[in-house]
Amino acid sequence: MKYTMFESLINKNSPIVHINMKIYHVLLIYIFLFMLFSITFNATAENEIDPIRTLLPYDAIPAITKPQFVSATEAKLDIDAPVIGVTFNGESHAYSLYLLNGHEIVNDVVGGKKIATTW
Amino acid sequence: MYSRELDGKTYTFGVSGKLWRDALLMYDHQTRSLWAHITGEAIQGKLKGKKLTPLISMPQIAWKTWMANYPQTKVLSIKKLESRENDNYADYHKSQRAGVSGTQYTDKRLLNKSLVIGVQFEDKNGKKHYRAYPLIQFAETAIIQDTVNGVPLLIFHSKDSFATAVYKRTVDGKVENFEIKDDYLSQDSQGRQWNLITGKAKQQDDVSLERLTALNIYWFAWARFYPETSIYKP
Repeated sequence: MKYTMFESLINKNSPIVHINMKIYHVLLIYIFLFMLFSITFNATAENEIDPIRTLLPYDAIPAITKPQFVSATEAKLDIDAPVIGVTFNGESHAYSLYLLNGHEIVNDVVGGKKIATTW
Repeated sequence: MYSRELDGKTYTFGVSGKLWRDALLMYDHQTRSLWAHITGEAIQGKLKGKKLTPLISMPQIAWKTWMANYPQTKVLSIKKLESRENDNYADYHKSQRAGVSGTQYTDKRLLNKSLVIGVQFEDKNGKKHYRAYPLIQFAETAIIQDTVNGVPLLIFHSKDSFATAVYKRTVDGKVENFEIKDDYLSQDSQGRQWNLITGKAKQQDDVSLERLTALNIYWFAWARFYPETSIYKP
């Protein structure tokens, strides 16, 4: 008995169909792998292996942009309170860590130097 | 502590509310680029890849010790909060939980929440090195003298005032050995005395040790940003 190409496709016992089914499965696996790869690859390109997580809106923790200062004698700090200290060109600033907890960043100028104190 | 000046422009920074590698991301008001506060590097936005210049500072010190060394200091004041402050992060600091993302930290050389002094420096070939000095190493001594890839370092940490400072261990181009005399006063082999809070020679106010930037930081955060870091062992 002679088969045409078409007949062989609809005959499940035909070896050609078997080959086509195999190709189909291999193709599926390839598509799956490609998707997996492209997700991973794009993630790497965008630093998304370490994703950026949004916890709060911008400025929910208000950085200080116009810091106010008092002298050492006026400061109402415990003598053991932890501070960050900075000194440039003879001018020194101290920032209480407890105050910085609520602000994280102070945009400041010390001894003419424009600095960001971060905590 | 960073300079707000970069390529001739001045920036101001705010808190983005975003975290990356469990650390705060700042943003600049001018371009809204996002900056990692541990490295000072922009990771997203117009200024991506740019780095802020880190500045020398005292990352933490007891107020009385700072005041004793810098009596003319000004102190940040916030009227409505001025009376008494609480440490809102006390619970976070007490637990071994490392950050908020649930990330498993794999660098088990130290406990996640071990405090270390994070130091970065270049050797004479210009190669960058990262080294962590666990604070526990300062239980018996206030200074550690170390040499890493030919770079002689003096690490100072006072467990009383919590002051931290890192210096090159050279005076007039010669490697020196120091011993601690009193609290934060040290003496080199020539008998010269140095204040390790200010870095200045006791007798000569205009002579200072070369100082490096230093971070007081949890191990997990330091190791996350600088996985190639070495750890000091006595």
